[in-house]
Amino acid sequence: MLIELESVTKIYNKGRPNEVKALTGVSLTIEPQTMVCLKGASGSGKSTLLSIVGCVFPPTSGRASIAGKQLSRLPDRFLTIHRRETIGFIFQQFNILPGLTVMDNITLPLLPLGVSPRERRKKARILTEQLSITHRENFLANQISGGELQRVAIARALINNPPIILADEPTAHLDSRLSMEFMSIMNDLRLAGKTIIIASHDTLVTDHPQVHHIVGVKDGRIHVP
Amino acid sequence: MRPVHLLLAIVFVLFVADTALFFHARIQRHQFYANKKILDITTAGLGLTDLCVSTEARYTRHPAVSDKIVPFMDHPGAIEHFPTGSFWAPAFP
Amino acid sequence: MLKTVFEKHLNILDYSLSSLWRRRLKNASVLLVFAGVIFLLASFQMVTQALTQLAKDSLENTPEITIQRMSAGRQEAIPLAYMDELSTIFGIQKVVPRIWGYYFDEANLANYTVMGLDVSAMPFGKKLNLALREGRFPEREGTGESVIGQSVYTAKDLKNRRVISFFRPDLSLKSFKVVGIFSSIVDLLTSDLIVMNIEDARDLFAIAPGFVTDLCVYVANPMEVDTIAKKIADRLSDTRVLTRSQIMKTYQVVFGWRSGFASVCLLTALAAFIILAWDKASGLSPEERREISILKILGWETTDVLAVRFWESFLVAALAFVIGCTFAYIHVAFFDATLFRPVLLGWSVIYPSFQLIPNISVDDLLLIFCFTVIPYLAATVIPAWRCAIVPADSAIR
Repeated sequence: MLIELESVTKIYNKGRPNEVKALTGVSLTIEPQTMVCLKGASGSGKSTLLSIVGCVFPPTSGRASIAGKQLSRLPDRFLTIHRRETIGFIFQQFNILPGLTVMDNITLPLLPLGVSPRERRKKARILTEQLSITHRENFLANQISGGELQRVAIARALINNPPIILADEPTAHLDSRLSMEFMSIMNDLRLAGKTIIIASHDTLVTDHPQVHHIVGVKDGRIHVP
Repeated sequence: MRPVHLLLAIVFVLFVADTALFFHARIQRHQFYANKKILDITTAGLGLTDLCVSTEARYTRHPAVSDKIVPFMDHPGAIEHFPTGSFWAPAFP
Repeated sequence: MLKTVFEKHLNILDYSLSSLWRRRLKNASVLLVFAGVIFLLASFQMVTQALTQLAKDSLENTPEITIQRMSAGRQEAIPLAYMDELSTIFGIQKVVPRIWGYYFDEANLANYTVMGLDVSAMPFGKKLNLALREGRFPEREGTGESVIGQSVYTAKDLKNRRVISFFRPDLSLKSFKVVGIFSSIVDLLTSDLIVMNIEDARDLFAIAPGFVTDLCVYVANPMEVDTIAKKIADRLSDTRVLTRSQIMKTYQVVFGWRSGFASVCLLTALAAFIILAWDKASGLSPEERREISILKILGWETTDVLAVRFWESFLVAALAFVIGCTFAYIHVAFFDATLFRPVLLGWSVIYPSFQLIPNISVDDLLLIFCFTVIPYLAATVIPAWRCAIVPADSAIR
């Protein structure tokens, strides 16, 4: 799916004393089935950029579209529906709910879609087998290791079979072996037809041979190194 | 088993219990009305004015015999006077 | 389509239940306290209703007008000669003289109610034997006969003896033959009663011949009661004329005071609970905020997140409501409202044995529901709503 951003600006708390300008006039085109890395220091605006692409909130001004669909003026409800159909998120903190089992965490996005428990299990089982965490399915999320948590997060991102995967600092809490493993999983997904966007300043990610594009972000602007 | 099924089971148990209690109340009420005729005869036949509760206060047992000063003539030793000894028993010498 | 919507709500309900289970300690304690408050409110409401209903029923058959003589602001014996004056008033059907007094039993520290009257002159007087467990009522002419209530029977430890003695004011003993004992069905009305004929009562209390304590007046037309009462008050200026409606009012004041007092106590408890619930349940912890954010970013709509919160609160509140009301009924119906008896009935030596019939009306249940469940729902859902409408990413970074 083609992602297009045109002079996108995002201002937090607009008009208030704590106003923050996170993005200024960002224009960016991401081709389908590519792996793109957003590179920049923390606070540079790459997370905000990721959130706009991920339909978490609309830009303050400018145009953003995914596969030709305008996101800029969509109300919150439609953003949500669009998000769950097209985007899978992987976070730095994994954001797995600790009290739930691995299985329940993976199937969370399916609940509001009205998928029956049996169907949910079936869908999740395919992913846990692919990511080889089937033996952890009934463990609570706080009983498994960091690498496994990462895989749970990947499985959860993939459960709705979205065409776009967004990852925000996914390797920050992983050692180099697990980071490499993560990148190879991402590469497999790209080969399976998904668009991957990773925000990171980890050289293991940015220097990875399979990354097609590196987009530098600095002080809320696209920056060519 | 889904958690919903557990909830349903709890709701079902409560429903059965409450239905049983509802019928218990119905039977009780029925019995009460069977006796009510006799209660009516008693009140009318003796000209009673009140239930036999709070027998230490004449104005509750028989409001017709009430004066403003009546509370002070109640149970010998009762300190508290209105409403009848809700909280303290009379001080016995 | 419809099936998907149904399945979606089942899923959300499932999630709410598992979420309740994850915080089971907190939720169980809220449920327990909440059920306790509702239990107190509901059983109190049931007892008050049951008692007032009983009292109201018994007052319905009270004499329409009672006349007492007043002297120096106190009630005094009324001469029977006043009956001649009453006979000239048109509309009066019947006048029954009666002696109503109290006898303090120093051995048992109990107050008995003594009634001296000719029961055959009263309405239903002929059928009155139905109210007896055994025996009959005293003859009009005979002396030294009495009918006693259950409490008198047990307090005096009569067993098979059928003789009972009381002191006259000059401390001489007067003995009675017990010719009848009231049945336990009417215990609530007759437990402390000693019924005798009017001559015996006059003898026991040393009331001068030709005097009684009050006159019961029965009126042919109930619409005329107030007019006739006024006429009596005019003709017999030293008397106090009490109508049935006045007695009813007095009664309501007495019970109103008691139930009002207890209501205030309970409302304080309720207010304390609501403040506690607001404090504990409404403030979202950082984990809860994070959870809402995660769910939103995973594609849950704001309404779905709110539905989870609503179900959680509603299940806790509704379960507490049902459990509280169920136990309240059990408390009142099977344990005779042991917790509230002392407050509502007051301290007493004589406690008649009676079973309360809990009066449960839809109104009462609705009232309790509105005062408990709805504030709790508001206290929990509104903060969740405030959290859920902000953009999803705010709490996970």
